[in-house]
Amino acid sequence: MSAVWTIAKRELTGMYFSPIAYLVLGIFAFVTSLLFFAQYGPGQPATMRGEFTWLVWLLVFLSPAISMRSISEELKSGTIEMLMTAPISDTQVVLGKWLGAVGFFLTLLIPVLLQVALLELTAEPDYGPIFTGLLGLILVGALYLAIGVFVSTLTDSQLIAFITTALITGFLTIGLYMISAADFTPLAVKDVLYYINVNQQFEAFAKGLIDVRNFVFFLSGSALFLFFGIKLLESRRWR
Amino acid sequence: MISAKRLVKWYGPTAAVSDLTFDIEPGQIVGFLGPNGAGKSTTMRILTGYLPPTSGSASIGGHDVLDDSRAARAQIGYLPEGTPLYGEMRVTEYLDYRGRLLKMPRAERRRRIDEVCGRCGLEPVRRRAISNLSRGNKQRVGLAQALLHEPPVLILDEPTAGLDPKQITAVRGLIAELRGRHTVLLSSHILPEVEKTADRVMIIAGGRLVADGSPDELRRRVAAGGRVLIEAKAGAAALREAVGGLDAVARVEVSAQDDGWTRATITPKDDADIREAIGGALLARGVALREIRLESASLEQFFVQVTDSVPGQASEAVAQGGAA
Repeated sequence: MSAVWTIAKRELTGMYFSPIAYLVLGIFAFVTSLLFFAQYGPGQPATMRGEFTWLVWLLVFLSPAISMRSISEELKSGTIEMLMTAPISDTQVVLGKWLGAVGFFLTLLIPVLLQVALLELTAEPDYGPIFTGLLGLILVGALYLAIGVFVSTLTDSQLIAFITTALITGFLTIGLYMISAADFTPLAVKDVLYYINVNQQFEAFAKGLIDVRNFVFFLSGSALFLFFGIKLLESRRWR
Repeated sequence: MISAKRLVKWYGPTAAVSDLTFDIEPGQIVGFLGPNGAGKSTTMRILTGYLPPTSGSASIGGHDVLDDSRAARAQIGYLPEGTPLYGEMRVTEYLDYRGRLLKMPRAERRRRIDEVCGRCGLEPVRRRAISNLSRGNKQRVGLAQALLHEPPVLILDEPTAGLDPKQITAVRGLIAELRGRHTVLLSSHILPEVEKTADRVMIIAGGRLVADGSPDELRRRVAAGGRVLIEAKAGAAALREAVGGLDAVARVEVSAQDDGWTRATITPKDDADIREAIGGALLARGVALREIRLESASLEQFFVQVTDSVPGQASEAVAQGGAA
């Protein structure tokens, strides 16, 4: 387990040496602030539901930018050889990479916490939906970053990792929405699509509900992609 | 300590390593030589568990690199080709990170980091970011990292690549210091480097082991001709007559004449040392002699000789040509 933390810590500190980290931090802080202040004012409800819903969309593009470095950069620079010849398991490598990315993602949420503080000072916020919304946001981030870490084991190009991850996260949101909105889609398929649509899964959290099924969706989704990532990395030892 | 049995590695249609078998005893320093693309790095990557062999097996300290990979890897300090490092980390920060991955306790990590920094000459740059280091210092960080947990086995892929002569001497000295304590396999395509440090030299070409022995043994194999170079004050004909008549001499070749001095190469009939006979014959005739020596066979000649005559190299070139 300690190897996982060691890798996660290096991943997180390494992140702050890349300009992309600051770009992502800047964009996220800017967009959340716009969304927050658009709804902030006398007479407005002291909730953050609208903001959270939009942030899930933003993550479709921002989380691939966080995860694209992950293993791709190691493949590019050759440091993967050092990592894979150390006496640690491939599972530890992938989990460490993912936890590091999730750690960075958590720092993105600092402006959101400041907004919560501002609401507390100037109004009487309903903490239930804010708490579940934040939790949902973290789960969405965890899933997207798991997808990103998986994709980054496939290529040594950060650009390809970014685009491929964004295609998958885009498909899980916009793509599925468009397919299920089409007239010719059978109802049974629509039900399935509804279940695997990230926005739909997030809605409950935004409303202030904590449903086991939503948890299962995000956690099993993350686990699935991490598992793929581990298998892919392992397969490098067999090819 | 390091054992490879019938290792084979195919990259698509190209055999990078074919049927490589060797055993390395504990405490040996073994130089792994070969032209670029001979399969040195591939073999090392198989031994370190980074790449799987297509067939065959390898083990480190009795642990199979595939079946018991982590135990095998725990025994190895590895310096991959090109010394890949995290540029943004400081030297000690990076070594600490490696120490953690190697599960070294905190106190031991500190002690060993101080020790390897001292041994590898990293003291002045301990706090510097790796990306700002010179090529030579990066190489030292790579070496320090490999030595960190005092592994019984060290696998160093081109440890002196890209270094200046002074740094090469320093690295060579460092490796020589490891003698006895570690089993070392180091690769190089530069001969003198291996010649001076290694107890044993393995030469591979086209993925095959073409020569294996101590540097002296290998040198003797080239020197087997026992040819003698002389420079004497006599005409070419006189020299031929004086030396050519000896029983042990097979052939006399005159290579140069200058100001009354003649240089010649004399080939003996068998491997016998004919210097004394030649000297005696010339002295008896009162011919002045200013040089007489065995033609020095360098490992370099041997290397060129054995690596040139490998069919694998040619087929590889054909395969590459076919792909292009």
